[in-house]
Amino acid sequence: MIELRDVRKYYRSGSGKAEILRGVNLRVEPGEYVAIMGKSGSGKSTMLNLLGTLDLLDSGTYELAGKSVHKMSRGRLAHLRNEEIGFVFQHFQLIPNLSVYQNVLLPLTYGRKRLRRKKALVLALLDEMGISDKKNQKPDRLSGGEKQRVAIARALVNEPGLILADEPTGSLDEETTESILNLFDRVHKNGATIIVITHDIEVAERADRILHLQNGVLV
Amino acid sequence: MKLFTAFKLACYGLWSNRFRVLSAMMGVVIGMFAVIVLTAIAIGVKDTLMKQMGSLGAEQILVLPGRVLDTANGQKDLLSGLTNVPSTLTYDDAKAIEGVPNVKSVTPQLETITIAQYDERNVQSVLVGTSDQYSRIQHADLSEGRFFTKEEQAEEARVIVLGNNIHEALLGKHEVPVEDEGSSGEAQQTKPIWKKVLDKLLGQSASAEETSLVGKHVTINEESYEVIGVLAPNATLGSSTDNNIMLPIETALATTDMKNLTKMIVESASVQAVDEVDGAVFNAIKAQHSEIDFSVVKQDQMLGALGKVTSILQVMLFGITVTALLISGTGIMNVMVMSVRERTREIGIRKALGATTSEIMGQFFFETLLLCCIGGAVGIGLGYAFIEVWNNNIEIFALVLPMWAVKLALYTTFGIGSLFGIYPALKAARMKPSNALRFE
Repeated sequence: MIELRDVRKYYRSGSGKAEILRGVNLRVEPGEYVAIMGKSGSGKSTMLNLLGTLDLLDSGTYELAGKSVHKMSRGRLAHLRNEEIGFVFQHFQLIPNLSVYQNVLLPLTYGRKRLRRKKALVLALLDEMGISDKKNQKPDRLSGGEKQRVAIARALVNEPGLILADEPTGSLDEETTESILNLFDRVHKNGATIIVITHDIEVAERADRILHLQNGVLV
Repeated sequence: MKLFTAFKLACYGLWSNRFRVLSAMMGVVIGMFAVIVLTAIAIGVKDTLMKQMGSLGAEQILVLPGRVLDTANGQKDLLSGLTNVPSTLTYDDAKAIEGVPNVKSVTPQLETITIAQYDERNVQSVLVGTSDQYSRIQHADLSEGRFFTKEEQAEEARVIVLGNNIHEALLGKHEVPVEDEGSSGEAQQTKPIWKKVLDKLLGQSASAEETSLVGKHVTINEESYEVIGVLAPNATLGSSTDNNIMLPIETALATTDMKNLTKMIVESASVQAVDEVDGAVFNAIKAQHSEIDFSVVKQDQMLGALGKVTSILQVMLFGITVTALLISGTGIMNVMVMSVRERTREIGIRKALGATTSEIMGQFFFETLLLCCIGGAVGIGLGYAFIEVWNNNIEIFALVLPMWAVKLALYTTFGIGSLFGIYPALKAARMKPSNALRFE
């Protein structure tokens, strides 16, 4: 379960500071598929950064799988990201000089789990994503859809409880968007909690619940 | 932190950016190459000089013209005290020394520049009037023939022994430059250019059917001398005999206008008697001179003065080396800082996927360390190869690379990698993942 209580986030703006999130409260049940919509600059990405522990709360509390995230050290947050959270970004965020296989393997490299079957696990995921024939290629040789499949495989490789997706279809055409959303549906059916940040209503409608971020609060 | 993971990631990181890494590595390669070669030169020069001085033997004493001053600690200050005064040492001084108790031998040396002539060739050389002990004292082995005898000295025999270069030059195998003007210079020019080119191509003189001048006559100052021996090549720093022509000192005094000795080497009967002989030799010469215009120097005093020279050389080389290493270290750091900047987004991705601060720091630290160590190893290897090539082809002095220098170079590369790797690694590790992911 995810629970945010009265979460606030400020950014420096000139000599003063701008409040991006103004007391956000959110509760997401395990296995739930939630979409968060909002206009540009409404704080969607800030929200995702806080949920993914890529940024720290200025005030409020954050509970994830029974752990008080807001009290954790940087080291423990890194382990939490590795074990509990999978990220899918709009611009894929693949490391260009690593192969598809190496990109998907990366979270396992930083993991504390001693997996004997790392290679088999990665290959099975690439097969499931339909990109096993591209495993030795560098990301710049892939299409947008293929890149996003690699990113999804990488997000799933550590079997995290939470998948955070930031505009996952923002850089894709209509046909590819549909196939990626179908992938998300499959992942959801397998029991993962998914939070998608989007401004696309068609993407949001695939979720169980749609929330709107307006003036720094969820409605 | 998993060190092996950080190391593995550093290897990936270097391999992925191998072309940039290669250019960055060049700084360390050149730096280490310089360290190795300069150290080998410094130690090689020191060893060669020390060996040459050491080859005098502990029982030998040098008598030099001019007064060498004593330093505060009673040592001879050969660096500041040597003055370029005309020699007042004479052969009579040498004879006086022969009468000193416990003196085994005296080898006087009377030197002048002269032109030796054979066939149509004129060769500039150093004419050395000396005693029959010269080849033994100077460790100058003969490649052919013999050295002159005491009897030939007494008879003022017109006999000479040629240094290796002079022998070769007189045979026309290679040329020794002649600065003299007039007929000898013209004689040198008489050989047509095409013949010189042919000589070079064939590696010999077109007219050089002769392979030895032993038994032949060479003209020096319009006087004919029989060549009785040739010295083996003796190319070393400072006191090579290759460009010398040796003749009995009595002959030199009779046939040239040379009167004053360049130096004398006095051999004590034993090492224990050196101090006693040193004082007695001084007194013997002093008795013949109206003032103290000469110096008597023992081998250990010469070595002490040389030690000072080589120490200055080593301090200078140390300065150059440290500068070279600092430049290469700064270069590496700049490349790594640029690398961190270029890979900001990658750092963000790695952090988002669970890399800890220490893992990111470890990766970039190991990258710098590996870069330095590989560059250092290549530099040391190239330096070693250079030394091998030098020692196999150049005889002037041998480069010496002791194991401590190699170890020092390796530790230094490790030190540079560690020192200059910290800043870029900290810079990478401190990035906030959300900011790093947004970096354009």
